[in-house]
Amino acid sequence: MDFLKKYSLYTLLVVAVLFTGCDDEEPEPENLPEIITDVMLIFTNVADANDIVEARAQDPDGEGVEELRILDDITLGTDKTYRLTYEIFNNLETPGDNIGNEILDEDDEHQFFFSFSTDAFASPTGNGNIDKADDPINYDDEDDNGFVVGLQTIWTTSSTTLTGGTFTARLQHQPDVKTATSGATDGDTDFDLEFVLNIQ
Amino acid sequence: MILDELVRLLPRTNTAYIKHFLLLSFILVVRIQTHAQNVDPCNYELKGIILDADTKEAIPYVQVILKGTQRFELTDIDGKFHIKDLCDESNALLITCLGYCDTTCQHFHESEDKPYIYLKKEVSALDAVTVTAERSREEGTVSIAQQIISKSDLSANTTQSLASALSEIDGVTFTSVGSNVQLPVIHGLYGNRILILNNGLKHGFQNWGSDHAPEIDIATANKVTVLKGAAGVRYGPEALGGAIVVESDPLYFKRSFKTRIGTGYQTNGRGYFANAEISEGLEKWSYHLGANYTRIGDRSAPDYSLTNTGKEEKSINGGLRYQVNDFDFKFYYSYLGQNLGILRSSVAESGTAIVRAFNSDEPNIIRDFSYDINQPNQLVQHHLAKIESSWRYADDAKLVFKFGSQLNQRDEFDVRRNADLPIIDLDLITNDLQVDWEHPHWFQLDGLIGLQIFNQNNDNNPGTLTSPFIPNYNTFRFSGFIIESLRSDESTFELGIRLDYEYNNVRGREPNQDLYKDEYSFTNLTASLGYILNLAEGNTFRSNLATAWRTPNMSELFSFGQHGFKTSFGLLRYYTDENENGRFRTDRVTPLGESSITPEKGYKWINEWQLRKLTNTFTVTAYTNYIQNFIFNRPLAVIGTIRGPMPVFIYDQADAMFVGGEITWQKKWSSTLEGNLGISYLWSRNLKKNEPLINQPPINVNYQLDWQLPSFWEGISSQLSLNPTYTFRQFQAPRTVGPEALIDGLVTITPESEIFDFKDAPDGYFLLDIAWNVKSEKIELGLSIQNVFNARYRNYLNEMRYFADEPGINFLFTINYLFNSKSN
Repeated sequence: MDFLKKYSLYTLLVVAVLFTGCDDEEPEPENLPEIITDVMLIFTNVADANDIVEARAQDPDGEGVEELRILDDITLGTDKTYRLTYEIFNNLETPGDNIGNEILDEDDEHQFFFSFSTDAFASPTGNGNIDKADDPINYDDEDDNGFVVGLQTIWTTSSTTLTGGTFTARLQHQPDVKTATSGATDGDTDFDLEFVLNIQ
Repeated sequence: MILDELVRLLPRTNTAYIKHFLLLSFILVVRIQTHAQNVDPCNYELKGIILDADTKEAIPYVQVILKGTQRFELTDIDGKFHIKDLCDESNALLITCLGYCDTTCQHFHESEDKPYIYLKKEVSALDAVTVTAERSREEGTVSIAQQIISKSDLSANTTQSLASALSEIDGVTFTSVGSNVQLPVIHGLYGNRILILNNGLKHGFQNWGSDHAPEIDIATANKVTVLKGAAGVRYGPEALGGAIVVESDPLYFKRSFKTRIGTGYQTNGRGYFANAEISEGLEKWSYHLGANYTRIGDRSAPDYSLTNTGKEEKSINGGLRYQVNDFDFKFYYSYLGQNLGILRSSVAESGTAIVRAFNSDEPNIIRDFSYDINQPNQLVQHHLAKIESSWRYADDAKLVFKFGSQLNQRDEFDVRRNADLPIIDLDLITNDLQVDWEHPHWFQLDGLIGLQIFNQNNDNNPGTLTSPFIPNYNTFRFSGFIIESLRSDESTFELGIRLDYEYNNVRGREPNQDLYKDEYSFTNLTASLGYILNLAEGNTFRSNLATAWRTPNMSELFSFGQHGFKTSFGLLRYYTDENENGRFRTDRVTPLGESSITPEKGYKWINEWQLRKLTNTFTVTAYTNYIQNFIFNRPLAVIGTIRGPMPVFIYDQADAMFVGGEITWQKKWSSTLEGNLGISYLWSRNLKKNEPLINQPPINVNYQLDWQLPSFWEGISSQLSLNPTYTFRQFQAPRTVGPEALIDGLVTITPESEIFDFKDAPDGYFLLDIAWNVKSEKIELGLSIQNVFNARYRNYLNEMRYFADEPGINFLFTINYLFNSKSN
């Protein structure tokens, strides 16, 4: 029968389509510039480039349930001026991906904020600008719009020592949000790390 | 709705024939007020002729029963019937098509819009004729409580989502992520526990989480049926809570050329839309074409603009039908493209941001109104193509082949450093082949035997700069089912059995981009048993006990990390390390075969009792649904991350129970005033931990009052509708633990902790909607006001309740132009 012929042809076609649609393609590996596993705060004495204090924080599995580890205390000397810079990496990739460069590229969408034990520093004074955005911090860089970024900041200790204080660095991602007055709660947090601060 | 359409056809008493409009019915009740033929008692008579309206051919062997009596007549070869010696002036006729005529009627139902019934003029004065028709039900679902939303209801507001249109049905509501992403909920279940059939095919989309709505444009739907029972035998896995069957234009033959052009504007979101459709049915050919465009900007709550809640949607669809002898071919294609904005302030990537967003009365980011859709948003395209052919080789037997192919492309964008790149970029191809055999009547049994082959292929497109949240996978399913029903005078039994074999092959990436692979398969038997008892005319009891099952979906098994504002781990992504004192680990993917994960199995028993008495119709529905290995998301702990402390969730399995019911009471207060009261209630519980489930629909009471206004102009009818609803606070909600209490360590969360929510369930709220519709033969005008009192409220089932109020008052204007080349 003519119709049966048509039917079987059409069925064959359908079955062919149904089974050729089967592939076992694997998802391609991705670069992950948005995940941060390792952050290092680097305090460099502006008077002596060999006087470097490093403090590391690590979340080795990124989004997994492993707890964040703060590996080092920040131990600074008295009466010194330091420049604070960062190494920010995603080490889930091999080799690790330097996220710091990404942040520099998009510095108009980022700002660092800080909080620390009150009057731990001679400059800036106070307890940092996480609680109040216009509290003093010595930013040493600007984005294209003339707003501060904080990839570089200057810290001067006094002769007073401190043991077991705290130092928090927070990086906020503020796309379309960053202004001269935007604060530590605007936008989203890229990292928010609290270290033990000693000055001796 | 049926009555609605009838009313237009009725006032034609001056013509030689009275035409009654019957909807694809097997059982029709016609009430006819006859004039006295004679003053003597019991000497009234009733004559009629039943004809096909278009061909004017007689329909023989139609059984015309005098309602409430044993008396009946069959129409003769000329379609005529004659009932004598009637004692009453007013008689109700029950017109049924049995035996030979059953198929005749079915032929009509399949091939044409409606069989018409003509009654000779001398029979009656017909100042009051009402026809109620019971629609034929899909084989395998006849004993399941079900409700239909018709075209006229759907076209009243084409800007709304499918889920929102269905929520007018009692027991059905929707869960949502804002105004654009809405998923239907039947009796507390949604997502993968509701099967959505688009044109007879399982809608193939990214059906996981609460933020992926089915890509179905209601403007293209002709009718939507909601099955409230586990219709798994007929339609396949996942129908644990019920099924939603969306049908497009039925492509009837012998239908004059029709055009419908509609447009409208809504004030909230300054939305506008336009749609157009044409259709025509020739002798052996029929076609339908439709297109729709909708654009809405930022919605606004009573006190602020809901920034980034706009949407843009375009769709086209077309169908073609061709008949040769006993063969009938249908081709169908539809496309839907959507760009859906999600509230900007709902993005919270760190613990502190969550706290801030949750604690703020207003969203953190409020900008001026805009049509722009920025991140976060979802860009989705859905194509569906289908070929269906049926061969009616005998009067009571039919063979149907269906083949469908769907392509679903989904790009999701998030606020992040590389915001211009999608964070989720998936292509999902779905193929579906079905063969159904409606076998001939056999020992009082009517039945349907079917075979299905189903496959899905999901691929991640590279370039998202994140680990794929959902792996690549292929699913194959082979199924066979048989449904038989046994009918007697008062009762019908329906029994169904189905066997599914499903194979899955999964390839994904771990956070360090190492490949993981898995393969698993399940074989499952489902069964259903249904019973219908016609206690008396207009008094029906339906009962359906059915099982349904589903394999855990890909996000329940494999999700890892953050999606939306929640960090979750799928069932196979975490384990407890016995060597380390049961420490929680997420550093490897457990193969499903080595885990204790089993498919979900549901046992739903649903009963419906319907009583029609005079001007009242009562429907009482009661159900229990026991779900074994119910998969749900629950809090695990607060963990320290580079971004600060974050609450973490895992997927878990436990047995759960759902018990609930609905009551509807329809009352015709007068010939122009009709009311409809609906109450729905649901109780649900996690039996293993004896604790409540989260995001379950609260009690809802609603009333709809429709008033046919007196005609103010010849040929124009208008209707005013009032729709007050009250939604109670969900008093079965889990305990509340604020995110700050978690992050500050005031509350310790462990894997054994009781389920919690971040915020209290919102208060109950009262809403009033008003609609005024004016209809003439060619023009339909609509004005409706939603949320008349501009109430501030939050909906417990909307995930955005953590961040913002629901939209405020909205005025919607619609205008439809209808053109029919041949006026019937």
